[in-house]
Amino acid sequence: MKGALLAKPASFAARSGWGTRLSSGLAGLRQSPVSTVVGVAFVAIVCFGTLFAPLLTPADPLALSADTLRPPGWAHPFGTDDLGRDGLARVLYGGRVSLSVGLFSAVLSVGLGMTIGMVAGFFGGALDEVLMRITEAFQILPKLLVAVVVVSLIGSGLANEILVIGILSWPATARVIRGRVQVIRHEEFIAAAEMSGASWVRVLARHVTPNVLSFLLVSAALQVASAIMAESFLSFLGLGDPAHPSWGLLLQQGQLFLQQAWWLTTFPGIALAMTILGLNLMGDGLGGSRAGGAGRR
Amino acid sequence: MFPVIVKLLLRRALLAVPLVLAVVTLTFFFIRMAPGDPASIMAGDAPTPEFLAQIRSDYGFDRPVWSQFLTFLGKAVTGDFGTSLYTKQPVFSVILERFPATVLMTGTAMIVASLIGIMVGVASAKRAGSRLDALISAASLVGYSVPGFWVGQLLILLFAVSLNWLPVGGMEAARASYHGWRHVQDVVWHMVLPVATLSVFLLTMIARFTRAAMIDALDQDYVLVAEAKGASRARVLWHHAFRKASVTTITVIGLEFGAVLAGAVVVEIVFSWPGLGRLFYDAIYRRDFPLLTGAFMFSSFIVIAVNAASDVACTLLDPRIRR
Repeated sequence: MKGALLAKPASFAARSGWGTRLSSGLAGLRQSPVSTVVGVAFVAIVCFGTLFAPLLTPADPLALSADTLRPPGWAHPFGTDDLGRDGLARVLYGGRVSLSVGLFSAVLSVGLGMTIGMVAGFFGGALDEVLMRITEAFQILPKLLVAVVVVSLIGSGLANEILVIGILSWPATARVIRGRVQVIRHEEFIAAAEMSGASWVRVLARHVTPNVLSFLLVSAALQVASAIMAESFLSFLGLGDPAHPSWGLLLQQGQLFLQQAWWLTTFPGIALAMTILGLNLMGDGLGGSRAGGAGRR
Repeated sequence: MFPVIVKLLLRRALLAVPLVLAVVTLTFFFIRMAPGDPASIMAGDAPTPEFLAQIRSDYGFDRPVWSQFLTFLGKAVTGDFGTSLYTKQPVFSVILERFPATVLMTGTAMIVASLIGIMVGVASAKRAGSRLDALISAASLVGYSVPGFWVGQLLILLFAVSLNWLPVGGMEAARASYHGWRHVQDVVWHMVLPVATLSVFLLTMIARFTRAAMIDALDQDYVLVAEAKGASRARVLWHHAFRKASVTTITVIGLEFGAVLAGAVVVEIVFSWPGLGRLFYDAIYRRDFPLLTGAFMFSSFIVIAVNAASDVACTLLDPRIRR
């Protein structure tokens, strides 16, 4: 009896729209711990810098000049590289590449993970068993090394990087969503929707999805962070796209001049670390306050 | 006790078989998926016609796909990964030559990171909610978020370039050739920075998961019982609570070993450490695909083996998993 009473608020929550859920999430930010605010601030700074790069520096990230390997100064706040290209411009425009790869791979992996996790959690049984074995196998495989082999064979390029990272990164999301769906699978509002004749697609889309939304947001933040990390790994190994230099590619070039030019590794690295840390802090904050510790795996 | 372990090992070995098959199948699929003729991909840039023909018959690219697959599978599981295009040596012997250096660095880092990570995680859980706990949690999230190769670059800038305390890279001093004890000292000296770099990621991860598992374990009734019976603090902490938490710690090490090995690859590149990582790097640069796919399959087998070992360890630690 008590259980039925407790289940009621959940079914009301399920009917409230996505908009109210997002705005209550934003309202929650005001009461969040300092760490979440720091995370949001880091990500906001990076997004601002990369979006408004042309306003922040007049330099062209690909333009060569005779000012080679200059240390940071008034003309070049982040110094110049061995071909005289402006460090600040390369970090700001490099962020566009890193963030886009991170964002698009995360959309792909969260989409895949959500679909697989929902189907596994909702239907259970043999289908769940098979999907979870595949998920486990995927988690054990050295994801980054698989990505290295595939990208070397099919060729580097942003689209290939996004595809490979996205396809390899879904297990974390799938596990979290499956766990959540298993919990709400037996709630009354699901039974009510099924009894009123809704198809499983409709039940998943209209009744289950809004209830895993906060978990998806957490997962998405963590996935963007891990995809940016994966991209930097590939670029550092020489599998980046030289026409679209990302932070990882800048760090790879910096490695060659590590002993002569500290600024070539320091600044792109700070940008990369700030972004990943910011996203992880956001994910942890969202996870702690809304999803009750969805976990990062 | 002994037969139980044997049975467990056998069961784990059988569970690893499909994973090994999956790795080999995936590798075969990747080679076939690559644009262009697989023989010319495996033969590298500008091969002679004779070499192309040899590759075709070696890999059987002139035969039906299923027969090619069986040949590939048979060779891969027996350690025949083909011939390196660059050095012309068998890939497997090239890998074995480089493997000890990777084991030395990764193994040391794993021991260091486990010891410190567990201490930090337990200390943090014991004072959960305190200022120290918050500080440790923040520090471990930073460590987890910072890319390993950048940590390595910063350590080089600080300790090798600015302060000149430690070597920039390599495994032994280039100019002097030491023997015996001096040689050991020299290698240890070169190992400090790469091991520290690789430990950061592993240490923070172990600390995070150990903390969570310890908080959960300390909340159990049997911990209360042990305390009530008058067991000392240290005994309750390590014998009663940590025994349960260690299952999580070991599972995490097993599951994340793939990431650790990938981390070792970039750390080796940053520090010019002559292990598997450099091999990956060179293989990518020289487009030496037999070497690349061989190094990948070999690393994957190691990851699968470590994972199986961590499963066995968990089962031995927690009798409930044994069923």
